[in-house]
Amino acid sequence: MRPTVKGRIAIFHPQGFLDGNNAPSFLTIDDIKATESLNIDMLLVSLKKVIFFNKNGLDVFIRLLDSIRSHKHIAVGLCDYDSAKFATINKFYGSTLTFSLFRTEKIAELFVPSNKNDSKTVLLYNEDASQRSAMAIELFDYGHNPVIAQSKKEFEEKKQSPDLYYAIIEETYLGLFGQKIATRVTGNAIIYTIANFLDAEITDTFNIAYHNNSLNVGFRLFIFDAYKVVSMNIHALNFFTKLASSAAEYNASICFVGLTFEKTPQSFKNDLEDAGIMFFDQMEDILKNKELLQELGGSSSSSSKQIRTLTKALINELPGFIDATVSTIAMMTNAQAVKESMNIQTLEIKNAANQYASSIGFYGDLDGMIILIFPKDIAKKACSLLIGEDSEDEEAILDSLAEFVNIIGGRAKALLGEKKNRVDITLPRTYADVNSLLEMAQNKKGVQVNLRFEGSNFIFFLTR
Amino acid sequence: MVTQEQILLYIQNIPPAPFVVKQTLDYVRVGDLTKAAKCAEEDPALKLYLRTLVNRPIYGFRNEVSDLSQIFSILGISTAQQILYNYLMTLLAPKEWGLFNLSSQAFYDLQASLSRKWAKILTHLNLLNHDNESAITLLPASIIVCDALFGEYKSEVEQLRSVKALDYNTILHRLTKMSLFDICTEIALKWEISPSISRIVHASSGLDQELAANDKILAQWMHLLLFYELSQSTYVSAGLNEFVEFQIEFVQEIYESFMQVVEYDETNG
Repeated sequence: MRPTVKGRIAIFHPQGFLDGNNAPSFLTIDDIKATESLNIDMLLVSLKKVIFFNKNGLDVFIRLLDSIRSHKHIAVGLCDYDSAKFATINKFYGSTLTFSLFRTEKIAELFVPSNKNDSKTVLLYNEDASQRSAMAIELFDYGHNPVIAQSKKEFEEKKQSPDLYYAIIEETYLGLFGQKIATRVTGNAIIYTIANFLDAEITDTFNIAYHNNSLNVGFRLFIFDAYKVVSMNIHALNFFTKLASSAAEYNASICFVGLTFEKTPQSFKNDLEDAGIMFFDQMEDILKNKELLQELGGSSSSSSKQIRTLTKALINELPGFIDATVSTIAMMTNAQAVKESMNIQTLEIKNAANQYASSIGFYGDLDGMIILIFPKDIAKKACSLLIGEDSEDEEAILDSLAEFVNIIGGRAKALLGEKKNRVDITLPRTYADVNSLLEMAQNKKGVQVNLRFEGSNFIFFLTR
Repeated sequence: MVTQEQILLYIQNIPPAPFVVKQTLDYVRVGDLTKAAKCAEEDPALKLYLRTLVNRPIYGFRNEVSDLSQIFSILGISTAQQILYNYLMTLLAPKEWGLFNLSSQAFYDLQASLSRKWAKILTHLNLLNHDNESAITLLPASIIVCDALFGEYKSEVEQLRSVKALDYNTILHRLTKMSLFDICTEIALKWEISPSISRIVHASSGLDQELAANDKILAQWMHLLLFYELSQSTYVSAGLNEFVEFQIEFVQEIYESFMQVVEYDETNG
């Protein structure tokens, strides 16, 4: 069994009965290897479709989760259970619980970085005050707004108004968490929260793959929320200067907010400034200053000053990328998309309103970005296999569009792999408003392919 | 991926039930087991199937039973009908499985295990009759159909499943508006299997609405039995755990009784 990957979370979905006799059959050596190689922040086992489990059965999965957690520093645990299953898990593991428990997949998603700029208000309660605080801190660091009930009574009262909250977090437990640096998105800026003493361990806890993803999908401003940093040593200094040099290639800005130099040598600040890192006292100094934000690349209207041009190697792969797109559409709809025209140009969209867009980047031996722009009804048709029932829910359609480009990205990666080009793909990004995509890509030259599907046109755009 | 045209072609290509099997079934239905045995003698493949099956450990006979009339009288009307339907299913089963990592032996074992436990369930429910007992034989047809339709799309399904936990039945229904269970109904029609059988099997998907009381009970038990079997190591390894979606709410109310009837040992493993 392979896990399903959504954003930065991978989830196993076993069904039926799970005991010590059958559980090993769910995970072949190939499955374990494939899971270990995933670029994720959280690995979970969903108990939604498991009607019976015993400890021996769960242990098989827990052993895999523990092993992956220890060498990949990611969060692991179980999700999608009801109250009875939660009680059983606690009975099995009690105080030795090292993994996390998330009542639903939706709750788990709140504890990992995404590239969406959506702060959620959530109601939170846990009998254990330390768990309550730990969850609140994590949620806050990931950019959410936790409303913490201090007592069961308060929780039950607040629970009466579920519409006020994106999620109600109960029967959830944070085990040995991933120890990754928390990440959130504000506007077009990525904010990393760092704390305590920074040393060589930062190379493990900082999610470099996510950072590279963000650079590749067009983020240009990275802010380190360093209010809680006490000090740093030379290893951390080296790490940040290297990060600054790689950001410079993308014309991206790195800023530190709230870092004091009482216990950190002042010379470190000079070195970091020489590397291009900027320092601010307050987060508002950046986020509320529109001009500065635009200057730093954190405004949606900013675009890279350094235009990355198309390469011959990338153009050579174009037929493969188009084929990956067309064949994915054929797979998902049993209908054919036909190429109508192709030009090297900047992105040009007629009737930007009423369209959805999604993009996925790839980097490694080759780098670039695939952008797809669909009329809304065509996007819905293209994703109907993933959405299921006729949904008007924009978030569900955009989520499916992200899954859709993820498949295309996966196919493109496999295609390049066949030619010995090793690449990684970024998280997909979706745009409900195509204008924000146009602002990001306005000066980028690329190959625009106009395709026709079910009587409407849609655009495939390959750029760097 | 799979299209409606492919499904229609598949249904069109389902061979009719062989004459000898049909006639044997007719004799069994009217309770004439002697004539049924005589008729079955004319089909060497059927004869071999019955002999091999009845002498498998799962049936628990100490001495080898080889005479067909003896086999039919041991089996009785209901079980004989059930086994003849199982035989029909094996005619539909592929020699080489493409999608699932199954062997013919593992498939026979699945049929036998389902049949045995289904008989226990019907006894517990006090709903034992010829058609109810035979209903379970049509269920594995869904596995055969799934393998036939998706065998050549294995990598496409893997790609889909890498982003969303979709089962084969859901994928098929979303693509073609036909489910694996709809196709089972078509097979039943072609083989003149009683409509009450195909109705129960269709309902065992756990997705049918407005079921008659008895049909619902049988469908619930059949759905849970299917997932009980598909949770066995052999079938998990074969990839069968993911072929249809387990409707846990549909079976929740019978779960406790089911565990007692199948004598499930909760400390397993």
